[in-house]
Amino acid sequence: MLRWKYSRPLLGLLIALLALAPILGANPLSRPGLQQTMAVAFIWGGLALTYDLLFGFTGLLSFGHALYFATGVYVSCILINHEVVVWWLAALISIAVSALLALLVGAASLRTTGITFAMVTLAFGEAGHVIIQRNFFNLTGGENGIALNADRIPSLFISVANTKFIYWAALAALIFTYAVIWWVTESSAGRVFAALRDNELRVQVLGLNTQRYKLLAFVISAALAALLGAVMLIAAGSAAPRFADAGVTISLLLMVVLGGAVTRWGAVIGGIFYSIATTRMQDLTQQESFKTIPKWIGGPIAEPALVLGLLFIFVVMFAPGGLSGAYYRLRLRAITKKSQ
Amino acid sequence: MNALSVSDLHVKINESHILHGVTFDVPAHKVTALLGRNGVGKSTTLKGILGLYPGTGSVQLNGREIIGVPTYKIVQSGIAYVPEDREIFSSLSVRENLTLASRSKDNGAAFATIFELFPELDTRATQIAGSLSGGQQQMVAIARALLNKNEVLLIDEPTKGLAPKLVTEVASALSKVANETTMLLVEQNLALVKRIAHHVVVMDQGRVVFQGGPENLNDPAWVHQMLGVSGGHK
Amino acid sequence: METFILIGITGIGLGALYFLIASGLSLIYGLMGVLNFAHGSFLTVGAFVGFWVASKMGFETSMPEFILAMLVGGLAAGLFALLIEQLLITRLYDRHIDQALVTVGVSLVVGAVLGGWFGNDLRMFPAPLWFLSAIDIGGAKIPADRVVYIATAVLLLVGNWALLKFTRIGLIIRAGVENRNMVNALGINVRRAFSTVFFLGGFAAGVGGVLVSVYSNGVSPLIAATYLIYGFIVVVIGGMGSVPGSFLAAMMIGVIRQFANYYATGLGDFVVVILLAVVLLIRPQGLLGKVRS
Repeated sequence: MLRWKYSRPLLGLLIALLALAPILGANPLSRPGLQQTMAVAFIWGGLALTYDLLFGFTGLLSFGHALYFATGVYVSCILINHEVVVWWLAALISIAVSALLALLVGAASLRTTGITFAMVTLAFGEAGHVIIQRNFFNLTGGENGIALNADRIPSLFISVANTKFIYWAALAALIFTYAVIWWVTESSAGRVFAALRDNELRVQVLGLNTQRYKLLAFVISAALAALLGAVMLIAAGSAAPRFADAGVTISLLLMVVLGGAVTRWGAVIGGIFYSIATTRMQDLTQQESFKTIPKWIGGPIAEPALVLGLLFIFVVMFAPGGLSGAYYRLRLRAITKKSQ
Repeated sequence: MNALSVSDLHVKINESHILHGVTFDVPAHKVTALLGRNGVGKSTTLKGILGLYPGTGSVQLNGREIIGVPTYKIVQSGIAYVPEDREIFSSLSVRENLTLASRSKDNGAAFATIFELFPELDTRATQIAGSLSGGQQQMVAIARALLNKNEVLLIDEPTKGLAPKLVTEVASALSKVANETTMLLVEQNLALVKRIAHHVVVMDQGRVVFQGGPENLNDPAWVHQMLGVSGGHK
Repeated sequence: METFILIGITGIGLGALYFLIASGLSLIYGLMGVLNFAHGSFLTVGAFVGFWVASKMGFETSMPEFILAMLVGGLAAGLFALLIEQLLITRLYDRHIDQALVTVGVSLVVGAVLGGWFGNDLRMFPAPLWFLSAIDIGGAKIPADRVVYIATAVLLLVGNWALLKFTRIGLIIRAGVENRNMVNALGINVRRAFSTVFFLGGFAAGVGGVLVSVYSNGVSPLIAATYLIYGFIVVVIGGMGSVPGSFLAAMMIGVIRQFANYYATGLGDFVVVILLAVVLLIRPQGLLGKVRS
């Protein structure tokens, strides 16, 4: 892949800046409000990356990824609230549960491929959503969700003044996710994933068990999604059915396609951008000046889905590769110009 | 006069280059056999001519360029195709398979000719094609191609996997048709090729390596060198 | 016994609604390989246009007026589907993943536009009053609207069957579901069949949209979501590309879901997913689906 020679030092600098910003004197990131927004955005960036491992790197179009994220949120929350184990152990258990669930669901749904696989994972994901909404055994709180019992987690994560700790937790989770996925995709297994995406038959001919590799990608991605779910629980302070909605997976798909698949950083940027854009757009439409726009235009524009949906259609039709794809095309053009 | 002229045809499938500039002619009202070992690109050449695989280069039907034209238009302009694995519609009846293939509304006469050539299809007209034997399915596939007025017939391994008795039946049907039309035939059965081919094209590794008369097929050394078989039946 | 009949027929009525959306999904996928996430928007568009027509008639409609609303809703949804196919899907010919992604985009945009215009609250659909009355079948009091759903689904199944069986375009569609390239290789422009299938699928979904809004006590941009997901499940269980398979699976799922819900609320969805898993393990191609080569 095309690499820029300054990209690694620059990335290090960026991470250091982001990490230090909350304690580095007066800047936008020293305000708890923006810290909270960014924490949520980091989590989405990480989630988009776990989805990129499936969709971009392995070629698995899953529509049920929300299930594993929600497993992280709900299992952690239930274990903490019911005082079963200490908070960090609860997060670890939720990751294990998610991985196990992915193993079972993956084993069944990977019997199908392509578009059928998409439908099947969607069905399993929705089943999870429904189970959460039904409030079985009074565990999930149904439509209202469950509030996290603040007494059971370290006081560091409580109160507005401590938002920076949530911010750091989210940033750390994102970096950890990035590192794991970087390691996985650059390893020999990662090469097999890429080969699976391009030509499954060829991999089969080489004598590799393609099912097992796909299942591996599925499980890793689910485990990481659960980790991010556990962090989301702390950031949001509650577990809500919206985390299990099929809309979550569709948003992840949007993030990856907008940012550009298979580049890793594309998905992260896509996730962060998407998360901030949806929050910002809602703020924007609350303003007075917005109310002067006639309702038949203003109404739809107030829905973030309109702009994102149109942008999404545009990218798929005319700019495959998304943001990172466009970046690499520009770089490629610059390089070929130089060499002429 | 050439009914079909292929020149410098290149086909790539998923980044792998299958045809490297195939060039040969198919003379009108003759049977041209396209020969070569397995995997040298014979079937791909037929599909490339039809536009089923996108290719570059030139393919001319009676002097008209057809490369890049949609498959259905190429077929409408007079090329009929009998694919390697028959590819009949197994959930449709025999009659439905034929009706689908027929492009003219007034096809009574064409159907009569077909049923004369393959009487078995007449008696099995309402049977579901998927339940036919391999030989009967091949008859449907050939009948489908003969229903319309065509300039050129492309036939891919019509005797593949058939019992010897059926090979004879298909072969005699083909030789009956051979007198009336232009045919490009991919076939492993050299006995059949010797019987009906006027012209031979041999391919190797995505290129044409020989074009000429069928006499060489009687020379075992040539056959062994060109086709990697010991002559006679295979 | 009465309870048994009531639950059974309600289940079949629900299955009929699933079928209306699944039949189009199945044909579109079977013929073109397109996983159509916009199918839910076809349903919503049909529901809103049908609602608009029906509300012109007042707070309730007579049966002919209701049928008119249903037909106009279906027609609007069919034309909308055709527009999406021509404008977006055909340009991504054979890029199946991108086609699925574009339909996701369409569903977002349609949801946003309708949500922005009408809000997400339910608006009461003016249905004929007698839909609320009960019909006596074997001692069980069956709500009349269920019978309407079932009748509509059966009519559409028969119409669908007749079209596929007796017309040339139907023949082309059936052949295309099996082997699209070979249809092309017979000199037939298979893309014309695509448009037909999109229109028909949109029509059925639009009619379904009107019925779903009666069943859910009103129209809103949100009514389609569950039906789309159930539609997908029905298609997978019934077998891709098989309309009778969709019918069978839809009825089965409707009935099983109702019975399971009778014993424990919410159990129905769970049982359906288990059923899906079992079918996938035993018969990945679905009940009446064919193994693709």
